[in-house]
Amino acid sequence: MKTLLTVVAFALAATGASAAPVLIGHKTVASEKLDAATLKAVFLGKKVAWDGAGRVVLAVLKGGPVADEFLQKTVEMNASTFNNHWRRLAMTGGGSAPKTFEKEDDLRKFVAETPGAVGFLDAAAADASVATLPLP
Amino acid sequence: MKRIRFLSLALVAFLAGHGLPAARAVVTVGARDNIQLGGFFSQGYLYSSDNNFPTASKGGTWDFREMAVNVSTTLGSRVRVGGQVFAQTFGNLGDDKVILDWAVVDYNVAPALGFRAGRVKYPKGVYSEALDLDVVRPFVFLPGAVYSPVLRDFSASFDGAMVYGTLAAGAAGSVDYKAFRGDIPISPRKGVAEFYTNSGLYTAAGPAKLGMDSVTGAQLVWNTPVAGLKAAGAYSVFRNLSTDGPFAAAPVLRLPSNMDKFEWRTVSAEYTRGSWQFAAEWQRAYSDTLTYSAPPALPLVKDDSGWDGWYVSAARRLSDRFEVGAYYGNLKDRSTTLPGDNPRTYQHDTAISLRFDLNEHVLFKLEGHRIEGRYQTFNTPRIPNPAGAIRDTNHVIAAKTTLSF
Repeated sequence: MKTLLTVVAFALAATGASAAPVLIGHKTVASEKLDAATLKAVFLGKKVAWDGAGRVVLAVLKGGPVADEFLQKTVEMNASTFNNHWRRLAMTGGGSAPKTFEKEDDLRKFVAETPGAVGFLDAAAADASVATLPLP
Repeated sequence: MKRIRFLSLALVAFLAGHGLPAARAVVTVGARDNIQLGGFFSQGYLYSSDNNFPTASKGGTWDFREMAVNVSTTLGSRVRVGGQVFAQTFGNLGDDKVILDWAVVDYNVAPALGFRAGRVKYPKGVYSEALDLDVVRPFVFLPGAVYSPVLRDFSASFDGAMVYGTLAAGAAGSVDYKAFRGDIPISPRKGVAEFYTNSGLYTAAGPAKLGMDSVTGAQLVWNTPVAGLKAAGAYSVFRNLSTDGPFAAAPVLRLPSNMDKFEWRTVSAEYTRGSWQFAAEWQRAYSDTLTYSAPPALPLVKDDSGWDGWYVSAARRLSDRFEVGAYYGNLKDRSTTLPGDNPRTYQHDTAISLRFDLNEHVLFKLEGHRIEGRYQTFNTPRIPNPAGAIRDTNHVIAAKTTLSF
């Protein structure tokens, strides 16, 4: 019985698992003040420069539950709508599109090496090479 | 033309066969270091059953393609420069001639204040700056009641400067604003000439000169506290929109015309919820300051010109690969003396669209229209609809494939 309960609990945990996105940034971004409105302005391309860390460089995952959850939480868009928002900007002279990544490891490495970079990934993929920023 | 069509189809087929990953990309624009490169190439087939509408497409035409390449980069933290070249063939319009679509220097002081100068995309409705972007919508044609494809080159961009920004409005959300001034380079080769040629005042060749002094305008977009809901209002005015050319009744005489003011008023709403997107827009394009004369045969005439248009649309993404959409558009001649039920005074367009994303770079669209009425169904050398052959009801089918990168 105990084994069965363990299996059921494990299965429920697996099926109900949700993404746990965290906001990461280059070490230069760690001291920036990021409230919800600022973060939204950053990811929508309205705030293009940090207060003290130079140009904002966006790094985003191409898709998946982490991207969906993060984007819904920060800019109230799903990945498709966010995608179209940036296509409109980039293709009409309204902004510089985010750098996109298939793999979280590549995104983290890019953020770690690029001053002003900010992005998101699953909490389990964050490490000390980047600054983990509090999500407002 | 045939060579371009062959090359375009071959390119799309080549990319389609390379099994690129499914359409999950957040952004498709290519980027390397600080230089971004993007673009698109589309080839379509356009068939209309009875009238040449919206362009010379009766019986079917492959003369329906668009292409663009853009490059941009940032200088320092707040300055961005970039530009895009664009070419299209739309029936007998465009002829693949490469034009500068936009080229800007942008200085973003803060989210609340930015400046943009150069050839700037023209904000005149929530989709006007993205007229050519197949990739952001299921429709082949944006609703013609507000976004006439014949006026594309008249509505795409202007030469001048813009101030823009986003103002926080607390619990009420935020407001994006844009205010601008400049002028739109126009010529008798552009689609806008069809409106003049169709008037019957000029000989079949149409006006020999077209120009304007300036365009001034503003757009406000209210990002409401309701997630996914935005409302917008736009106003712009052309000053001294003028033409000149041989008078149809006496070609030895010139017929100059002028509109001191031609005004565009647009009200828009868009609501996105989950996989659904709804939109509605109303637009009045109108001048009551039209004057023309061809002395001594035609003394000065004071007139008005313009139309009212509106549409409602809905679109739903069904999966990573499929999206459907539909709209109803209503366009009405505002300056006619004919009774309102005369088919020459209105255009009712019902459309349904299907989009298929083969991968993140290649998409296909199929769209059907039923058009009742024949307002803005032209009879010009480039879009011929002889009086005896024109019908009150027309059906249009558009198929299109677009490669974007």
